[in-house]
Amino acid sequence: MASLILSPAEQDYITQGVERGFRADGRGGLDRREVTLRTNMISQANGSARCRTGYLGAGTDVLVGIKAEVNSWTAGEPEDKGAIVCNVECSPSAAQEFEGRGAEELNVELTQLLDRILGGPQSGIDLGKLCIIPKQAYWVLHVDALVLDVKGSITDTLVWAARAALLAARLPRVVVESVADEDGNMQSEFDVVDDAEDQISLEGADNLPLAVTFSQIGKRYVVDASEQEEAVAQARVTVAVSPQMEICAIQKGAALRGFAPSLLTEILHAARTIAREEFARFKAVFDAANKATAADEPSTGSTFLGEF
Amino acid sequence: MEVDTETQVMDVTARIVTPGSAITSDPGFIRGHGTFGEGPTIYSSVAGVIERINKLVSVRSLKQRYGGEIGDIVVGRITEVAAKRWRVDVNSRQDGVLLLSSINLPGGIQRRKSESDELQMRTFFSEGDLVFAEVQSYFADGALSLHTRSIQYGKLRNGTFVAVFPQLVPRSRTHFHTLPCGVDVVLGVNGYIWISKHVSAAKVEANAEHIYSDKNEPISDEERESIARVANCVQLLNRLYVKITETSIIFAYEESLGHAPKDLLALDVAAELAHSVTGRLRQQS
Repeated sequence: MASLILSPAEQDYITQGVERGFRADGRGGLDRREVTLRTNMISQANGSARCRTGYLGAGTDVLVGIKAEVNSWTAGEPEDKGAIVCNVECSPSAAQEFEGRGAEELNVELTQLLDRILGGPQSGIDLGKLCIIPKQAYWVLHVDALVLDVKGSITDTLVWAARAALLAARLPRVVVESVADEDGNMQSEFDVVDDAEDQISLEGADNLPLAVTFSQIGKRYVVDASEQEEAVAQARVTVAVSPQMEICAIQKGAALRGFAPSLLTEILHAARTIAREEFARFKAVFDAANKATAADEPSTGSTFLGEF
Repeated sequence: MEVDTETQVMDVTARIVTPGSAITSDPGFIRGHGTFGEGPTIYSSVAGVIERINKLVSVRSLKQRYGGEIGDIVVGRITEVAAKRWRVDVNSRQDGVLLLSSINLPGGIQRRKSESDELQMRTFFSEGDLVFAEVQSYFADGALSLHTRSIQYGKLRNGTFVAVFPQLVPRSRTHFHTLPCGVDVVLGVNGYIWISKHVSAAKVEANAEHIYSDKNEPISDEERESIARVANCVQLLNRLYVKITETSIIFAYEESLGHAPKDLLALDVAAELAHSVTGRLRQQS
């Protein structure tokens, strides 16, 4: 994804480092960078989250907002299900190559990737519960993501933020009544309860997957590649794993070459092991983010190294 | 409360001002960079520190693009190979220019440039290469003209690149340092820094034929760890907005030895290091 050009000497340094298990910033091949998370900072959205992967207040920064809308059913659509629609946009200020229409291709790739992971029953969310009245009305969840800064590994951060936003999302309660119309037939009508206290969370959001992106550098692969490592990587694959340790989605990214099949099998197994750790880490970070209130904001003295 | 700007002469001693702050109404002063005038009063247009030289009042902002002065030692990345010159990204408003006539040819002996040199420019520097150079002069449009006419300048190898704020690298006598831990550091005044394995000067001279080689020396695991540690320390100093000198890097390195290199940039460890490093620097000054 990066358009960084490195010298052959730098590329060799990075490749040798990866092959010996010691990356340029001291991490091992499977070590991820620090993740900071904030939830529900967008009051007008049903749910929101901002996730940053990186160090010292800089890093890949993604903001996700969830907006729920009631759609009227039209013929041809599923009769008893809601829908999830994803959209990813890279802010032109995130990187120089995103200026103007530079990010168009990447936006399409990331939107397709997020859709592949979240846009259907494989996301774990109970789409049936999103149906209000069959063949009449249903909830559509718009998952809108904005990439604010790029320092390598957009996909993993994007899926973290989307998962956090969906877990934090709250929908208003809907009351469905059967009313008799002029002919005496029973019609269903629904009413959205306008009470901020009376909201429900998304059924099945706990089943949402997390993504792990593997980049092949030299003869080995690394997780959570930095910008320089992405510039050297020969191939990249994103694997989304559910909390039940099932592989929900796999997408290979644009790169110079392909993966050897044996390496790909090894990566799929490694994805599950890493995902297990990632779910534990996600839970810790997410719980901390939810407990954080204004009083927890770092004082001015340490906002220099502060989180957001 | 009315502020009578006509009779009140504000303080022009070095103080921090923000955009829109009034500096002075004294007609004896001339406006310099970073200021604008409205009526009789000079206001600051940037956030920074007031500087006064005789009658000239200017405001030096905290963050500025690297400007470039003759004699500056810089690290640049080749962006383009053009006719008898290379365009070099030096973190400035314009790319610098490295002329074919400004580089040393391999072999150490001053041989005449031939036409074949012109046609084989990529055998010297190619796009993406990092070059250690000195600013020789300016072109008419303000672009910096670089040269590498000394054995210590040239193509950079055996290490890793870090970018910091240009203001944090002070101009000094020498910009190439060998740290006690066996790591060479090149501090470009333009904010580009190269951290590499130590290669002795004798070895560099012995390699005069291969100054444009892209091949790294073999780097051991301990050397790799030291390089990673120094690189992370430099990132930390950059984030703390502390001047990046041989001394501050050595302090940060020593304070960091209690942690693995990969942990140095985690928020809690970084905060702890920030206190100890700034403490030592304050003690020293």
